[in-house]
Amino acid sequence: MNLLPFAHALAARQDLPIPAWLFAWGASIVLIVSFVALSVAWRRPRFEETRWRPLGAGPSRVLLSLPVQALCGLVGVFLLGVAVYAGLRGTEAPDRNFALTFLFVTCWLGFPVLSALLGDVFRPFNPWRAVGRAAGAGFRAIAGQQPAHLAYPERLGRWPAAIGLIAVVWLEIVYGTSGGVAVGLEPEAAAVAALLYSGYTLAMMAVFGVEKWCDRGEVFSVYFGMFSQLGCFGVEDGRLGLRRPLAAATRWATPFGSAAVVIASIATTTFDGASEGPLKGGIETVFDWLSGPFALDTALRLTDTLFLAACFGMVGLVYMLGVRGMRSVHGAPSLQKLRVGFAHTLIPIALAYLVAHYFSLFVFQEQAQFTYLLSDPLGTGSTDLFGTASSGVDYTVLNANAIWYVQVGALVVGHVIGLMLAHDRALAYWPDYRDASRSQYWMLAVMVSFTCLGLYLLSYSNQ
Amino acid sequence: MRNVIRTASALAAILAAFALVACGGSNDDQTEAVSGQLKALPGAPTGDQAVAGEATLERADGTTTVTLTATGLEPNSAYVAHLHTGGCDQGDPGGPHFKFNAEAGDEPPNEVHLEFRSGADGSGQARASSDREVPAGEAGSIVVHEADAEHHTAGEESGAEAVLVHEGHHHPEEPAPPAKIACAELEGGHAHGVSGEEAASRGGKVPAVVVRDGEPVGGVAELEYDAGEEVRFEVTSDVADEVHVHGYDLLQVIPAGGTVSFDFPAEIEGIFEVELEQRGLQIAELTVNP
Repeated sequence: MNLLPFAHALAARQDLPIPAWLFAWGASIVLIVSFVALSVAWRRPRFEETRWRPLGAGPSRVLLSLPVQALCGLVGVFLLGVAVYAGLRGTEAPDRNFALTFLFVTCWLGFPVLSALLGDVFRPFNPWRAVGRAAGAGFRAIAGQQPAHLAYPERLGRWPAAIGLIAVVWLEIVYGTSGGVAVGLEPEAAAVAALLYSGYTLAMMAVFGVEKWCDRGEVFSVYFGMFSQLGCFGVEDGRLGLRRPLAAATRWATPFGSAAVVIASIATTTFDGASEGPLKGGIETVFDWLSGPFALDTALRLTDTLFLAACFGMVGLVYMLGVRGMRSVHGAPSLQKLRVGFAHTLIPIALAYLVAHYFSLFVFQEQAQFTYLLSDPLGTGSTDLFGTASSGVDYTVLNANAIWYVQVGALVVGHVIGLMLAHDRALAYWPDYRDASRSQYWMLAVMVSFTCLGLYLLSYSNQ
Repeated sequence: MRNVIRTASALAAILAAFALVACGGSNDDQTEAVSGQLKALPGAPTGDQAVAGEATLERADGTTTVTLTATGLEPNSAYVAHLHTGGCDQGDPGGPHFKFNAEAGDEPPNEVHLEFRSGADGSGQARASSDREVPAGEAGSIVVHEADAEHHTAGEESGAEAVLVHEGHHHPEEPAPPAKIACAELEGGHAHGVSGEEAASRGGKVPAVVVRDGEPVGGVAELEYDAGEEVRFEVTSDVADEVHVHGYDLLQVIPAGGTVSFDFPAEIEGIFEVELEQRGLQIAELTVNP
């Protein structure tokens, strides 16, 4: 018998499945909310304009000043350096090594939520952007001219970021499941991947320009930036300002391939949830089938890769069905315009999926991050920088009920916000508001299926 | 406007139906079946070494049905099969018989017995039903014995007892005890899903996780408790390592061939790994429900 290893290296604890009664309540609320939304919704678009207005000059001058930007950049580079060093030199135990928790929990799960609340906070700390800008400034000082960049091929749009996003999750939960044991991704592999990614990113920045690459291909900038569109803080013309919440999202998806980024986000979370749940049987079957011609870990990675790709295809298909449906409504704009125009309505769903699936992992693992992983980043027991090296994670801070309510609450709120954005966009696209409402039956079906899928994954007992 | 409302209502109905289809099936505990391949045991008599077949245990609405099909038996012979609590891999295949009530007797309906005769082609099948449900994880295996003619003349129902008597009080002049000839693994020789309280009520038996050749026998054991209960289980291992209960963060050193026992209150809710720390090998999954 081949033991299938666990997907999550760090989670020595899993959430209990949500009970049937909560599932039923969640699904009912989703349906009722959706129905009410159809009947009482507004008739003029409200989010198409951001109504951005600057905050006082003081905060802008301080927060966006060159020294502060340089300092933030240095912090970013330093932390990336610590993570890579810990990965290369630290313990092999994933849960005792600073690298994995910092990269895959603190940053990968923390920045989406932080960005949605506070705006694009990753941007100043982005280590590659900082290095790229410093290099650009150095070039200007020495050569006395602007660096010449190639024009970015716009037909690629944000596809490099979408593929990169899948690659990050692939590294975390597919590549990491090697060896048939519950170890998962080795810190060293994560560090090597971070170095490779740094080389690739700096090269792309050199070729296409720092800001261009950050907006199109740099996975983390694009991904965290996407969530930052939901919040009310934004920088325009070098000034910090307040805008209407959610409004910035309506403009985010314009570059080609943006829909792929949101879909990739939903699909990867779905895969992570489903690979231990409803897909487990299928994965085992394909794995058995592939473990004939291939070595065990190759077969497992191949299997998981296939299922991850299938998740991406399925989520994309559901969205495309919704778009096709809307096209059939009287007065609809072109398919192309619809496909681009409604992609941003999935951002709240993507965030809801993240919160629902990783909330408890984040709360527990951050205790480790700020205690023993900070004091003993290598996990070798050789340092105790802040005197917290012997602390542990207190798992009693959250009980099962609290986790369940957050999970279901996140999905329902994400659903409602997604519906609001879709309704608003439809009002902007259809001249007649009744046609606009009719078109939204389709997006409603898309959202209900994603939200129900989310609930289903949470309720699925892998027993 | 009325048109819009009508369309919206129709849509809501469609969505509700869709949601039922999409969201339904999360709670599929009405009927549940486990099955296992019947395999000849090492000590089987020469005539029975090619035994194969399948055993299935089905739980539905508080009842249990066990079916067994076998081939490769000795033609026209009597056999008896019992539901056991343990897995096929342990030293005494299947371990003790499964009993609905540990204090009560060892005959149906308190135990699950299947008696059957093989046909001329050496195949046979049997089926037994009970109006009680075998708790999840307790149906370890089905073990097939040879049934000798004597106790069948004494009475069909006392077959198992006769076997036990034969095994327990073996006299040289008596014929050899009917051998266990084949076993079908169902939920396997570990404490799959047995709650601590339940185990205690079954005569103080503590769930045991056995590691052999560096692997948990019968796969990752499942231990399930409600918050506030006392978690009790034992780990026996043929390799030296440390047993680590994650979440509760309990660690015990286990020597090769040694046994360690855990006893702690279930105060953290969730699903936790129990692993051999050095190997990074998961041996059990501890579930604590609120």
